[in-house]
Amino acid sequence: MKLFNKVPRPNSIVLLLLAVVSTLVSCDKDFLDRAPQGQYTQDNYPYPGGSGPYDQYIFGAYSSLRDFNVHSQSFIAITSIRSDDADKGSTPADGGANAIDMDNFPVAVNNGFANAMWTGYFNLVNKANIVLDQVANNEAIVATPEIKVQSEAEAKFIRAYAYFMLVRVFGQVPLIDQVFADPAAQANVPQSSPEQVYALIESDLKFAAASLPMSWSPAFVGRATSGAANGLLAKVYLTQRKWAPALAAANAVITSGQYSLNPSYDRLFREEGENSSESVFEVQATSSPAFPDANGVQYAQVQGVRGTGTWDLGWGWNTPSENLEAAYEPGDPRRTRTILYTSKTTSPTEGLTIYGEKTPLGLPNPRYNHKVYTNPARRAAVNNRFGHWFNVRVLRYADVLLMYAEAANELGNTAEALAKLEMVRARARAGNSSILPPITTTNQAELREAIRHERRVELAMEHDRFFDLVRWGIAGPVLRAAGKTNFNENRDILLPIPQTQIDLSKGVLKQNPGY
Amino acid sequence: MMKRTLMLLFCLFTVNLLFAQENITITGKVTDAATGDPLPGATVQVKGTTSGGVADVSGTYTVSAPATGTLVFSFLGFVDQEIAINNRTTINVGLATDAKALEEVVVVGYGVQRKRDLTGSITSVEGESIAKQPNVNPLSSLQGKVAGLTVVNSGQAGASPTVRIRGVNSTSNTNPLYVVDGVFQTNIDYLNPADIESMEVLRDPSSIAIFGLQGGNGVIIVTTRRAAKGETRINFQSSVGVQRVNRKIDVVDAGGFRRLYDAQLTNLGAAPFDYTSYTGNTNWQDLIFQDALITNNSLSISNSGEKSSTLINLGYNEQEGVVKYNNYKKFVARINEEIRINQNIKIGGDLTGFHWRQQAPGVGLNNALWAAPIVPVQASENLYYSMPSFQRAQVGNPIASLNRNTGNAVDQGYRVVGSLFAEVKFLKDFTVRSSVYTDLGFNNLRSYSPLANRFINLGEGTAATDTTYDALVRTSVSQTQQQFRKFQQDHTLTYNKTFNEKHNVTALVGFTTLFNGSTFLSGMRRDTTLNIPRDRNFWYLNVADASMPLNNSGSGGEESYMSFLGRINYSFAGKYLVNATFRRDGSSKFSPSNRWGNFGSVGLGWVVSDEGFFQDINPFDFLKLRAAWGTVGSGLGLPANLYLPGLVTSDRAVFGENVNTSVSPAYVPDPNLHWEVVRGIDVGLDLRALDNRFNAEVTLYDRTTKDILTSLTLPGTAGNYTYRTNLGNISNRGIEVSMGWNDQIGDDFTYSISPNFSYNKNKVESIGPNLEFEILGNGGVNVTRTGQSIGFFYGYEQVGIYQSTADLDKQPSFTNSLPGDIAYADKNGDGVITPADRGYLGTPFPNWNFGSTFSAGYKGFDALVEIQGVAGNKVYTQRRTATFATLNYETNRLNAWSGPGTSNIEPILDNTRANNYLFSSYFLEPGDYFRFRTVQLGYTFQSERMNKVGIKQLRLSISGQNIATFSRTSGYTPEASLADPIASGADNGTFPVPAIYSFGINASF
Repeated sequence: MKLFNKVPRPNSIVLLLLAVVSTLVSCDKDFLDRAPQGQYTQDNYPYPGGSGPYDQYIFGAYSSLRDFNVHSQSFIAITSIRSDDADKGSTPADGGANAIDMDNFPVAVNNGFANAMWTGYFNLVNKANIVLDQVANNEAIVATPEIKVQSEAEAKFIRAYAYFMLVRVFGQVPLIDQVFADPAAQANVPQSSPEQVYALIESDLKFAAASLPMSWSPAFVGRATSGAANGLLAKVYLTQRKWAPALAAANAVITSGQYSLNPSYDRLFREEGENSSESVFEVQATSSPAFPDANGVQYAQVQGVRGTGTWDLGWGWNTPSENLEAAYEPGDPRRTRTILYTSKTTSPTEGLTIYGEKTPLGLPNPRYNHKVYTNPARRAAVNNRFGHWFNVRVLRYADVLLMYAEAANELGNTAEALAKLEMVRARARAGNSSILPPITTTNQAELREAIRHERRVELAMEHDRFFDLVRWGIAGPVLRAAGKTNFNENRDILLPIPQTQIDLSKGVLKQNPGY
Repeated sequence: MMKRTLMLLFCLFTVNLLFAQENITITGKVTDAATGDPLPGATVQVKGTTSGGVADVSGTYTVSAPATGTLVFSFLGFVDQEIAINNRTTINVGLATDAKALEEVVVVGYGVQRKRDLTGSITSVEGESIAKQPNVNPLSSLQGKVAGLTVVNSGQAGASPTVRIRGVNSTSNTNPLYVVDGVFQTNIDYLNPADIESMEVLRDPSSIAIFGLQGGNGVIIVTTRRAAKGETRINFQSSVGVQRVNRKIDVVDAGGFRRLYDAQLTNLGAAPFDYTSYTGNTNWQDLIFQDALITNNSLSISNSGEKSSTLINLGYNEQEGVVKYNNYKKFVARINEEIRINQNIKIGGDLTGFHWRQQAPGVGLNNALWAAPIVPVQASENLYYSMPSFQRAQVGNPIASLNRNTGNAVDQGYRVVGSLFAEVKFLKDFTVRSSVYTDLGFNNLRSYSPLANRFINLGEGTAATDTTYDALVRTSVSQTQQQFRKFQQDHTLTYNKTFNEKHNVTALVGFTTLFNGSTFLSGMRRDTTLNIPRDRNFWYLNVADASMPLNNSGSGGEESYMSFLGRINYSFAGKYLVNATFRRDGSSKFSPSNRWGNFGSVGLGWVVSDEGFFQDINPFDFLKLRAAWGTVGSGLGLPANLYLPGLVTSDRAVFGENVNTSVSPAYVPDPNLHWEVVRGIDVGLDLRALDNRFNAEVTLYDRTTKDILTSLTLPGTAGNYTYRTNLGNISNRGIEVSMGWNDQIGDDFTYSISPNFSYNKNKVESIGPNLEFEILGNGGVNVTRTGQSIGFFYGYEQVGIYQSTADLDKQPSFTNSLPGDIAYADKNGDGVITPADRGYLGTPFPNWNFGSTFSAGYKGFDALVEIQGVAGNKVYTQRRTATFATLNYETNRLNAWSGPGTSNIEPILDNTRANNYLFSSYFLEPGDYFRFRTVQLGYTFQSERMNKVGIKQLRLSISGQNIATFSRTSGYTPEASLADPIASGADNGTFPVPAIYSFGINASF
């Protein structure tokens, strides 16, 4: 279209262009290789050697023990508010149907706490399976056979712990014992029977009991031990009414020489009572001024006193029930250590905490869980009132003694049962011979009742009551008598499989009976 | 130049000799009839000959022609004009712009094309219609203007709208790609809306294939203004307006609250609440909303000479939010320069500097909706009332939050976008063009967390009124810095030639690379001993000692792309059009073996109206049939390096008081992860008729996304552990229709109407062959399942309310249903309500989008009305489902069931009845709406009079935006968020889209 009078030398331009392009193309490999910035991958993570080569993955599983969906609100609602030990608490409408249904039954299939527990504990299962997968398949990690076995044992302990909760809460659950090579295969595992789940739990815990150390160095206090595995195993057997293996497992804890009752029931539930000689397994938590909550758990916050200002210690859930209050024998000091009373008058001696503070008038609930009451000095030290540092006492020696006593009584070994029961009562008595007289009956049925009573008051608000009632086969009458008149043992001893999970599975998961 | 002129003269002389006719010399000026601007380069031809001339820079031409001949004046984009010479020696002519748009040029990827030659679906929106709107973000102004384009505006100051082109074709990112003067962008926040020449919306795979794997969601090409040819111009545009929330959410007042809460407590069997101290009646919404300022200002200075052209633009926009004290300020300065070294070599550059400052809203909308109205606001300046015990822990005093959160941040950013190019024409038909671009962004935030407020807890029952102050709250300061880096280079070689006057070929090959990088750094220090003053001069980390509690973090990202591209356009006699494109793209986001992909398209067009047999068929002036097929990638916005086994390293294991680091896999890696592939076919027709007064474009499309990238939560196994992989197919089929009618009545009255609408049907063809599960969004409210539209609403259908126990016996119900509960439809007819009775309840995505522009002009007056709307979708009133505390009630609850016959819609007041909180049609509202988007009236002063005072043109206008919206939704706006494809359509207190009433001025000097 146009005439040119100054035609540029095309060859040079084309050559230049080609040169530019070819230079750019030749560096294509470098140009398109972009490593993640400031992030490790599994392939280049500099696994620290000092504490064991698989520890980083194992710690990932321990970290999940503090998850909100594992040991906070849903855990408390499902294990405690369902029982006759506790009421929902807080204000009447707080938590809506999710919470009220846990107290009053039945629980709806879309209950948020049920789904939270499902995802939280399956996440634990998954974290444990990842450790096992690393031990079995990660050839980049060099480790001695002993370390491999110990790491496997620790993962299996956590997996068993998660499945023990899942099988008791949901009954039939999918059994996932590996990291699937094809993630899509993991997508839809059908449910296994409770017997199959218990078989995995038992084999995991036996392995853990045989391969975990008796104790850890102070830097790792609170990691799973063989004692913790045996103690948990005892509870697993007890739940299945396998009395002799339960007795043996409990005996293994008792004879390990690692544990003794804390002389003070009071101190046991203070911060200084964490990881005491009575602790068999505790979920570990801590706070610092820089990280008041990141390294903690919301366990104490959910149950903390629901006041204002300095009395805003939490949400006020899971309040001890009148029924629990009435269960204590006269003068049992464990009552006021378990139940924190709200002041009703201005009397200076009423409604005191263990630190001597008087609770304010007009709190929304008459009672709060005293076993999660935090030290005011610690609150001030970390600029936080919500007790994120407070450990969750999962399994303690008194529990093991009472499990032993229960199994012994069922096996007809009355003397052993009475002896272990008396150990627990003696500690509670704290030298005051006028209260809590020793149990002397040798009638098996009477002793059974005495042990059940002792379990209730010794371990009140410690999350076993509902499961105890179910395994004793008395959940229906007891809970209905405690005012939960909707309770129907043909349906309500298990929660519904969360509808969300059934939907996700496109119907592969089947609903529990009655829902 | 000299040589050429001599040559021309020689030619003319030769012609003269040959024909030996009586020629005269004619001079004159060719101008744009509309603006009076000269048209350099306009051609002047003596009709019936090959002789003629070209207008110079000032528009002046000189030709020699027979005194009785006819001159033909023509210029690209203008209507040819023939003028008989009639012995005149001076002929000035004003050319009219070509209303037929026959020669309208459309910007396509890496070039321009005549609109008539297009084989794909591209809609061009003029900058003028964007500049006219009182919007800070230019994308807002596209709403309702383009068929197939969905724009969801946010009323929050400075927020970018959500933009969807032809529905949702992915389960992950569905944002379009923006190409601003060649630069690939994910947002265009930095542009001055008054400084845009045009925006092209590319919708079909054949148009977007040239953009390869970033183009799959559609492309919006933005071209900024260049200096107008010929002279020095100064243009000033300004508008100032006020924004107002016309629709508030109806919540009950104190009296209504007492009534409803009493009823709820009675239903719960709980003791009545003691209201003695709660004497307030506070409308919290009124207290947090404000009438807010919006102003847009733009000053452009441009100069264009023979050798160079320059444009300088300054923009200042400010938008206050309608929620106190939200504020966004935007400063833009841009310079564009082009130097023509000679006829064959052009170089130029463009530099935009952008600075923004913002203040976030001091309080969330939900806070004001939730707070009980019985509470008074405050007792004195720093003494507020706290909420009643039933919501104290969950809901704060909105005004206390507002005042505590306002003015605690210095939040600003800087961005520089620059480009340089050189273009060389050689060997007649070749053009080589190289461009380098950069975009550097720096965001900077300093913030402050003040001491706690003092609160009065009003007495309830035995609890006395007291005052609390949380002494554990200490002051802290934070600093955050973000840096974004983009480097892009494009090199293209174009060949254009016409053979035998009939075969026109344009071929393009190119090479381009793109790099995006970012770094992020933040820190916080809390002073546990001193109170840091609430004064921005102190808000640096160093104000608190390093021994204080502190927290810091830093991160970064890098990604790069490399591409080879090519395109051939061929047309035969302007009638038969073929267009083929190819792009080979490599991306660093994927594993080396999945890194490269090939994309391409073929388009065919047939201009039927140029056929001989068609010439006599009236009333058609132009008719083109077109069809196109293309394949393009969709990997925009996908996180990088997902093929690598990423780790979460932020979880910590605690033993005693010892904190240990840990690792866990961040997701299940898929080493074969690759981008989504979008394939589609378009067929359409473009026509003009009735003397070009009527035009229409109709397009049918069928588009399928294969290998959708899906983030799956593995059911029952991993909880919060996801697997991102390629699965399944999604299809979108639809029709887009745009029409226009332009006419004038008499000499002075012109008018036009241009409606458009589009229909899109979305369907998930499969979500994977071996995967027996579905994708749940928003807690299972949205389900993505084979055979249905993506993320549809899935739940129970309300048929009424159980009025009595007798009702419960008669109607299917849950085993625990009670009178006052919602009665649901028994879909499977088994006599009971179970989860199997849930079903499809609607889609969050509008099937229908429509809009229309009406404009009219009479002498100096002009009027504009724009309407816009959507239909076919549902909105989920999720804000009404919160049960974590007793919250204030919306007025629909005043009609709650309270006994037989009281309501058949609103269930009983009892938030512990779980059945009524199951997701159902009770929580859905029709999302259809119709909106008067713009009503504008302007007057342009006649230029002769103004010229004397140096003003070329002056237009004043008043306008209203969003002045009326008709919908059946109860929220602030019917436009619920469509941001997440698998969890869309929920109204959780969606920010209001305010009405804007503004006054504008546009002056040229």
